[in-house]
Amino acid sequence: MALTGIEIFKLLPGGQRPPHPKANCKECGIPTCMAFAMKLAAKQVELAACPYVSEESKTKLAESSAPPIRLITLKGPGSSIKAGNEVCLFRHEKTFYNKPGLFVRVKASQANIAAEVAKADAYKVNYVGMDFTVDGFAVEADTLSGTSDPTKFADAVKAVRSATKRPLILVAKDAKVLEAGAAALPGETPLLYGADSANWEAMGDLAKKLNAPLAVCADNLDTLADLTDKLKGKGLEDFVIDPSSTKLGASIAKYTQIRRLALKNFRALGFPVISFACNAADEGIAAAQAIAKYAGFVVLDKFVPELLYGLLVLRENIYTDPQKPIQVTPGIYEINNPKPESPVLITTNFSITYFAVANEVEGSGLPAWLLVCDAEGMSVLTAWAAGKFDSERIAKAIKGFNVASKVSRKRVVLPGHVAVLSGELEAELPDWEIRVGPREAVDLPGYMKTALNN
Amino acid sequence: MNHTITFTTSDGKTVTASALTGTLVSDAAQQAGIEITQPCGGQGRCGRCAIQITGGNVRRRSTLRLSQEAVEQGYALACQSVIEGDASILVPEQEKIERNLTTDRVAAEVSVPSGYDINWSQTVRRVNVRMNEPSMDDQTDDWARLQTALRVQHKLETVEASISLLRRLGQVLRDGNWEVNVIYELKNLDNHSAAHIIDVRPSICDEDEPIYAAAIDIGTTTVSLWLVDLVTGQVKAQVAEYNDQIVRGEDVISRIIYASKHGGSDDLQHRVVGTINKLGETACKRLKTRPDQIVKAIIAGNSTMIHLLLGIPAASIRLAPFITAVNHPPLMAAREMGLHFCPDAVVDCLPGVASYVGADITAGVLSNGMDDTDEITLFIDVGTNGEIVLGNRDWLMTCACSAGPAFEGAGVKDGMRATTGAIEEVWINGDTYEPSIRVIGGSKPRGVCGSGLISLIAEMFLTGILDKAGNVNLSLPTKRVRATDQGGEYVIAWADETSHGHDIAITRVDVDNLLRAKAAIYAGFTILAEQVGMTLADVETMVIGGSFGKYVNVEKAMQIGLLPDMPWDKFKFLGNTSVKGAYFALVDTRQRERISEIASRMTYLELSADNTFYDAFTSALFLPHTDMDKFPTVAEALLSKEKR
Amino acid sequence: MPVEIPKDKWTGKVREVSFGATAADGGTRSKSIVVGGDTTLPYMQFEAPTPHTPVIAVEIKSRRPEDWSTLLEETWGDAMNDPASWAKAAEAAGADALVLWLTLADTPEDAVKATKAVLAASALPLMVFGPGQVEKDNELLVAVSEAAKGEKLVLGICEDKNYRTIVATAMANGHLVSARTPMDVNLAKQLNILITDMGLPANRIIMDPTTGALGYGIEYGYSVMERLRLASLQGDGMTQFPMMVTVGFEAWKAKESKVGTGVPEAWGDWKARAIHWETLTTTALLESGASIVVLRHPESMKRIRAAINELMAA
Ligand code: SF4
Repeated sequence: MALTGIEIFKLLPGGQRPPHPKANCKECGIPTCMAFAMKLAAKQVELAACPYVSEESKTKLAESSAPPIRLITLKGPGSSIKAGNEVCLFRHEKTFYNKPGLFVRVKASQANIAAEVAKADAYKVNYVGMDFTVDGFAVEADTLSGTSDPTKFADAVKAVRSATKRPLILVAKDAKVLEAGAAALPGETPLLYGADSANWEAMGDLAKKLNAPLAVCADNLDTLADLTDKLKGKGLEDFVIDPSSTKLGASIAKYTQIRRLALKNFRALGFPVISFACNAADEGIAAAQAIAKYAGFVVLDKFVPELLYGLLVLRENIYTDPQKPIQVTPGIYEINNPKPESPVLITTNFSITYFAVANEVEGSGLPAWLLVCDAEGMSVLTAWAAGKFDSERIAKAIKGFNVASKVSRKRVVLPGHVAVLSGELEAELPDWEIRVGPREAVDLPGYMKTALNN
Repeated sequence: MNHTITFTTSDGKTVTASALTGTLVSDAAQQAGIEITQPCGGQGRCGRCAIQITGGNVRRRSTLRLSQEAVEQGYALACQSVIEGDASILVPEQEKIERNLTTDRVAAEVSVPSGYDINWSQTVRRVNVRMNEPSMDDQTDDWARLQTALRVQHKLETVEASISLLRRLGQVLRDGNWEVNVIYELKNLDNHSAAHIIDVRPSICDEDEPIYAAAIDIGTTTVSLWLVDLVTGQVKAQVAEYNDQIVRGEDVISRIIYASKHGGSDDLQHRVVGTINKLGETACKRLKTRPDQIVKAIIAGNSTMIHLLLGIPAASIRLAPFITAVNHPPLMAAREMGLHFCPDAVVDCLPGVASYVGADITAGVLSNGMDDTDEITLFIDVGTNGEIVLGNRDWLMTCACSAGPAFEGAGVKDGMRATTGAIEEVWINGDTYEPSIRVIGGSKPRGVCGSGLISLIAEMFLTGILDKAGNVNLSLPTKRVRATDQGGEYVIAWADETSHGHDIAITRVDVDNLLRAKAAIYAGFTILAEQVGMTLADVETMVIGGSFGKYVNVEKAMQIGLLPDMPWDKFKFLGNTSVKGAYFALVDTRQRERISEIASRMTYLELSADNTFYDAFTSALFLPHTDMDKFPTVAEALLSKEKR
Repeated sequence: MPVEIPKDKWTGKVREVSFGATAADGGTRSKSIVVGGDTTLPYMQFEAPTPHTPVIAVEIKSRRPEDWSTLLEETWGDAMNDPASWAKAAEAAGADALVLWLTLADTPEDAVKATKAVLAASALPLMVFGPGQVEKDNELLVAVSEAAKGEKLVLGICEDKNYRTIVATAMANGHLVSARTPMDVNLAKQLNILITDMGLPANRIIMDPTTGALGYGIEYGYSVMERLRLASLQGDGMTQFPMMVTVGFEAWKAKESKVGTGVPEAWGDWKARAIHWETLTTTALLESGASIVVLRHPESMKRIRAAINELMAA
C-alpha cells in the first residue's frame, strides 16, 4: 500500500528522532523534509533527490512505491501506448493516469485490410484543442480457437502494418500463428493475445522469446491468477488480463474486483485489463463501461467515427485530473439572446464564479454578453490579487474574442471588486465605455435594471 | 490641458491647484497638500474618499458605495474621478481613524523566563570602562584606547564599531572624562571575546540601571511594542497603536499595490517607522527615559509588513507563485531604518516562512511552544487573514486562508472595529426574536464588531432566524426580520436606539460574507489535517492567538462552525503571540535561534493551488457545517432548542 | 489459485423511495415505482443484489418545444404537439415513468391542464418539473401540486433558492421533491438537510446532483454521484437518497447531438452520434449511481433498457 506523506516523512532525515543533522537542508530543492515527503507521496519527485535517506528507509520506500498495477507499454514503429500504474478505484481520490488505448479490430480474413486500416489510421478529431486518434489495431486470426493459417495471418499483419505505424495487438490462440504474425513486426512490442488454460505454455514460451507482453484470458479470477502465476514461473513479467465477460453485469463486477485486488497489492492480478467490447451486444455501451471502469485497452469491432468520437471524449473526460480547479473555457457567452445593444459583463473563468454570474443573469431574463476572461481558473478577487485579472488581460480578451463585432454599444461592466481597474482599462480601450458593476453576482439583475438602463 | 481646481476643506480653508486633464481628484488633492483618507488604497472599494463637487464637473469612473442621491448632490469618489475641466471641490471632514491607544489586556501576565540572567541568557552586555587620559606621552588614538581598555578590563579581544559611532566617540570619551559606559552585543552567546559596540555613554553606570530593548510586532492593523529591561528581563511597558499605513489600504494586497506606485514604498516605510517611533516615545515617556536608550529591537510581523518596513519590493508576494524577496532578513542598525532608537541599536527582523506565513507566525509558534511538545497542536491567528499551524515537535505544517477582514468588522454593512459603540455580544430571545446587546463603552451602539458578529450569527442560527444555509426566514412573526432587494435582513437596533440614528441591521449579504470568512478558516483546518492524514479529532491542543482570541466567545464561534467543536479545556488563548515571541527572542538568544529553526522547519501549504480546498470550503459554508457529525455539541444545542 | 474476492462492508444504505400512487394509495397510477435501497456500490451484485431496477423516464413538454433537435422531432412527430399524446407515445416507447416539463410560457392554469391531461392519458408515475426559474417554478408547481394532490408526483426543480415553497406544497399534497444542486457533493447534502429540516419525510426526497453531458462536464457529475453514493454507504444520512439525472436534457443540448450540419466530418453520422451521445452519457451515470435517468430519444431508451437488463442480470 502506498504510504501517506507523514509515513514517508518519518523515514526521511527530518522525521527521525533526534533529527538527522541534515534535516530540512533544502538540497532536494524543496524547503522542508515534510514538503519533500508530501511530494514523494504525490509522486512529484524522485526519492534520489534527497542525498541523506538511509538505506533502510530506501528499501521501505521502494517497496511501498512499487506500482500496484504494472505499467505495460505497446510499441509500434510510429507510436506507443501505455496502460497500468493506476493507484485508485475512484477518479476523485487522485486521478486516473493512463488513458485506455482504443484499438480497432481487423479480421485476418477480411477484404481490403490495408485500405480499411488506412482510413481508421488517418482519423483525427479535435476536442477542445486536442487532437485524438485511434491508438492501434488488433489483428485477429480467422478462427480464434482453432488453428488458422500462419502465413495468412502474417500477411494480414503485414497488410495492417503497411497502413499504420501504430502499435498492434495480435489475436490468435495458436502460438505458431501468433509467432508468424509477430515475425512481421521486427523491433516492435505488440501485445500477444492470448494465453489460456490450454495453450499457456506455448504462449509463454513465445512471449519470452519475443520479449512481448502477453494477454492472459479466463472467465474467472482464480484461473487468471493461476495463469499469471505459472507464467511468472517462466520468467515473464508483463501481462494484460482479460476476464472475458461480454455481459455488462459480469464485467463491471470482475473489472472492479481486479482493480480492488491489485490496489491491495495482490500481485497475480496487478496488470492492466483488456476489454473486447467488440464482442458485446452493444459495443458502444460496453466500451463506455470499460473506459470508466478500469480497462487498460479496449478493442472495438470496426472503425465507426461517430462512436469513436464519443468514446474518445468520454475517455478524456474520465481521465481529466479532478484535482484541477474547474474552469470554464474563456470566450464570449450569450445569455438570454443578447442583442447588439446588450451590455458586456466581464468575469473570470473560475467555474463557480462563472456559474454564479451566469445563473443570476439568466434568471433575471435580461439579455447580456458574458465575457469570460482567462484568469487561470481563479475567482475575481483571488485572480486580481494574484495579478491574473488585470486591465491588460481584460483588454486582450475583448480584442481576442472580437467583442466589438458583436455589439453596437461599446460598453463593458467590470465586477465591483476590481473597480480599481477601471482607469487602466479606459486607457487600454479608449473607445469603450467602462462601467463598474456590483461586487456580488446577486446584485447584478438589480444593477442591470437600474444603473445600466440609461 | 491645465485646469484650475479649487479645494475647500471642512474648516473653510481654500487651496487652488492646477491639474492636467485626466488627473485623479485624489492625486490633485495630494499635490495641493490636502489629505484625503483612502482606506482601500485608492481602489474605489471603500467609498470613504467621497468628496463633493460644488462647481464644474469631474468624470466619475465608478460611484460604488455612493447612493444615487449622493451623486445627485455632487458627491464623487476622489480616487475614481477624473478631472476634465475647472472644478470646485469640497473636501468633507476626514474620518478620523480612531486611535484609541490600547494596553494589552494580558500585559501583566508576562513573566520573565525562569533562570533569566543578563549575562547568560542573551548577548547584550554593558560594562564600565576607565581609561587613562591621553597625553603628549600617550598618543594612542581614542578608538584604540577604548579597544585596549575593553581588552584589558573585560577580556574583549575583538570589538567593532560603526563609522557613525566613531564619529561621536571622541566627544563621548571626553564628556565622560575617560570614564564611560559601553553597551555592546556579543557575536554569539558562547564567545565572550568578540563583540560589536552599540553605544558608548559618557558616565559610569550602576549595574541595575535598566538597559532598554524593544520587542515589536507589526500587524497590518495594529503595531505593538513592549519595552523590556534587559537587566531584569522584565517587560516594563506595553503599547499599541494603529499602523499608520492604514490610510493607504486596510489589507496587505492594497498596500502592496500602493507600494508599487511611484513613491508608495517610501511613503509606507515612513508611516510604519513613524508608528514605531511614536510607540517608542510613548513607552519611554512612561518610564521617564528616552527612545535613544533603546539598544536593541526584535521585530515580528507578517511578510508584507516586514518587506514594507525594510523597503524591499513586495510585489512578488501578491503575484503567483507568491514568493517573498527575503524570508530571513539581515540585521540592521536603527539609524539605517530611520528608527529614533540608539543609532547603532541592533534591529533584528525575525524570519518568516512564506508570503502569507510570516515572522508573526514563527514567533507565535515559539511563544506557544508547539514545536517542543509531543501533543498535536493546532494554532490559529485570526487577523486580517487567518494563519494556521498544525504540528508538534516532529513536524509543523502551515497555511494561510484568505478569510478577509470580516471578523474585524470590515465588509459588513454595519460592521466596525472593536471600539466604543460596537456591539460586542448579542443574545436573541427564541420566542420574541428580540435581541439584548452589550456595547463596548456602554453607550448607544454604532455598529457591530467581529465578536459581536459571531455571537449575532450564532444566535440568529439557534433561534431559527437563519436556516443552515444562512437564509433569513422571512416568515417569522417579528418586525425585526424584513425583506430587502438583497434578501432578508435582521434589525439589531432601531434607529432611535443607535448613536447615529440609523437602524443597525445584518443583511443576507453580510451573513454570506461572514460565512465565507469562517468557511475559509475552517477549510484551512481541515485541509491541513487531511494533508498529513489526520482529522481535527486528533488535535490535542488548540491555541488561539491574536486579539481575536481575547474577545471571542468560543461557544458561539463553535456554533457557527468557525472553531472546531472540541472540549473547552483543549483551547488555550494567548493574546498577541507574535510580540510575545519577539520578547522571548529578545531575552533568550537560544530562543531567537529556535525561531530560525522553526522557520526552516515549517512546511507551507499553498491552499489556492488545491482543488480539495473548494470542497472543504463549500462543506464549511453552512451552519455550522455540512457534516453535522463534526459538531456534536452544536447538534445537541439545536435539539434541545427544538424540544423546548 | 483461489482468489478471495474483496467485498466492501458498508454500514449505510440508500433510502427506498417510492413515487406514483395507485388506487390503493389514493392515486390513479397503474403502479408505484420504488428506487433506492442500495447497500453496495452500483451493480456490485457479488456483495448484495441491486434491489431495484433503474428507472427510465421520458421527458415530455407541456407545449411543443421550439428548440429541440430535428432528430427528436422526427421520431416523436405530431405526438409532441400536446402533452397527452406525447405521454401515450412515450409509454408505448417503453418508458417506466414520465417527466412533464413545464415551460416559461405556461400559466398556472396551463400547467394544471397539462398535468391533468398527462395523468389521464398515461397511468405511468409522473414527475412534474418547472421551467427552472425560481418564481415561475413556485407559481406553476404549487398549482400543479394542489391539482394533483395524492398522486405522489415528484416535483422539481427544488433548489436552495425556492426549496421552502416547493417542499411546503409537496408536504401539503403528498408529493415528493427532486432536490437539485449544481454538481457539488456538499451542496447536494446541504439542500437535503434544509429540506428535511422543514419536516418533509426523508423517503420523499430524490436528489438530482445535475450532470454535464459527454464532453460538457460529465466527469464532474460522474464523480459527484460516485462520492454521494460512497458517502451514503458510509452512513451519511443526508446523502442516502436515490439519484436522478436529466441526461436527455443535457445530452441533447450538446452541439454533437443537436445539429447535423456545419460540424467536423470526423464526428461521423449525425443520428448515430446523437444517440450515442445520450446513451454513453447515460451508461456512465447509471454506473456511478443514478437510479432514474430521464431520456429523450426512443432509440437510446431501447439501448439503455438492454444495458440495464444486463447489469441487473449479473
Ligand atoms: S535533501 Fe530534502 S528531504 Fe533530504 S534532508 Fe535535505 S531537505 Fe530533507
